Amino acid sequence: MSKPINYTERCGRISNAFYNAGLEKAQIRDLTGAARCLKRSLEFDKYNTNARNLLGLIYYETGETAEALVQWVISSNLQQEHNRAAHYIYEVQGKPGRLEDESVHIRRYNQALLQAQNDNPDLAILQLGRVVDHKPNFVKAHMLLALLYIGREDYARAGKSLYKVLQIDKSNPRALWYMSICKSHTGRADVERRKLKNAFSHHQMQDDDIILPPSYKENTGWQMVLHIVAGLAMGAAVLFFLVMPAREEQLNDSHNRELSQVLEQVNQKSMEIDGMKASMTAMESERDAAAAELKAIVDENGGVLSQYQQLAHILRAYKADDFPTAVELYTELNPEMIEDEGMQAIITEIRLDMEERGYQVLADLAGQARDAGNTDQALAYYQKSLDIKADNPQVLYDMAMVYHGREEEDKANELFGQVIMNYPDTELAEKAKEVRGY
Amino acid sequence: MINFEEELSHFKPSLEVEEVEDAIVDSDLTDMADIMMNLIREGSENKKKDE
Repeated sequence: MSKPINYTERCGRISNAFYNAGLEKAQIRDLTGAARCLKRSLEFDKYNTNARNLLGLIYYETGETAEALVQWVISSNLQQEHNRAAHYIYEVQGKPGRLEDESVHIRRYNQALLQAQNDNPDLAILQLGRVVDHKPNFVKAHMLLALLYIGREDYARAGKSLYKVLQIDKSNPRALWYMSICKSHTGRADVERRKLKNAFSHHQMQDDDIILPPSYKENTGWQMVLHIVAGLAMGAAVLFFLVMPAREEQLNDSHNRELSQVLEQVNQKSMEIDGMKASMTAMESERDAAAAELKAIVDENGGVLSQYQQLAHILRAYKADDFPTAVELYTELNPEMIEDEGMQAIITEIRLDMEERGYQVLADLAGQARDAGNTDQALAYYQKSLDIKADNPQVLYDMAMVYHGREEEDKANELFGQVIMNYPDTELAEKAKEVRGY
Repeated sequence: MINFEEELSHFKPSLEVEEVEDAIVDSDLTDMADIMMNLIREGSENKKKDE
């Protein structure tokens, strides 16, 4: 009888070992692996209450409430005292309506499975959607829903269902397989492969290797555009705030130097212009002086040249014994302008001759003009006669009479006054007084 | 690649709450110890018959 006892103990030990393995897997949420171990544990020892209760918990966690109840009820029957299974059963059955809800969702899943297997996937997806909404830990429903989405090539939605499955049962092999297919179709697999390669790379670092920081993220198109725009803005800011002021200062210095050079040249040119203006003024003065001198020489009336010509005409009149013409010409002569000593001697002889007899000729011409009614001509001759010989009361009187005849009494009275004052004891003075009414 | 039909055939209906009782009754609770005990018992009975 020792052998059966040994076999029982040995089976108990093996069962316990599988239970421990199942417990470890359950603790890391490898529920599929845990359930497998726990089933093996119960195959060796059906009385292993912990293994059966844990198997029931795993069924309950994956949404298999009925399966959990089966294990917990059996466990309670096999060990009626100090069994945690009673508490589990109470939790599920004790709250009103909870078990009924569980029953409805499980039944709905079974209907969806039937519809899916009978080529009615749309209705099945609809049913399964409602099931997982109310019973989010129902792994079978998620798995079937993911498969139906994969069948419609809607890998994103399938991935979402599989993600929830793997949150409950991390090592569910079928879920992992479905997920790998979804990732390969959405491009997610490549991203994760790169991340893994970067995270677990053991190759020796080369000089040109780049260590990407953990915060590094793959840029999408618009992010790249945004980064480029931000980079351009920063570059523009650097250019504006750092480069431009230095460049502007450099240009200002260059311009200032050029400006100072130009100003210096302008000043030099201004000085040259001032000098030229001064010389031009001096030359203009010289020119004016020369022009005045030339004008003085060539002037017909008072010029030196004309005076020489006048003198020549006088000499020609003398030569022709035309003394009256010589007298008339002499009245136009300005002897002071002729500086030549030889000429001055001739002029002196002419002046003496004119003072001796020329003034009378002019007085006679004036008388002839007066008699002819040409009073202007007469006054001119009288004035010329007085120019040659001022001390001549007869000419003064005759000239006053002409003015008196022209009713220019002021001039007439002035001349009458000279006769009366300068020659008081003469007959002319008496006549003058008489004319004036003294 | 997934063979949709084949995969779908792997899915089995879930045990409904109403079926729990039947499931418990139908449960095969035979474990390795029972099998060994049966083998030992059969071996003892055969030995007695031979004697």
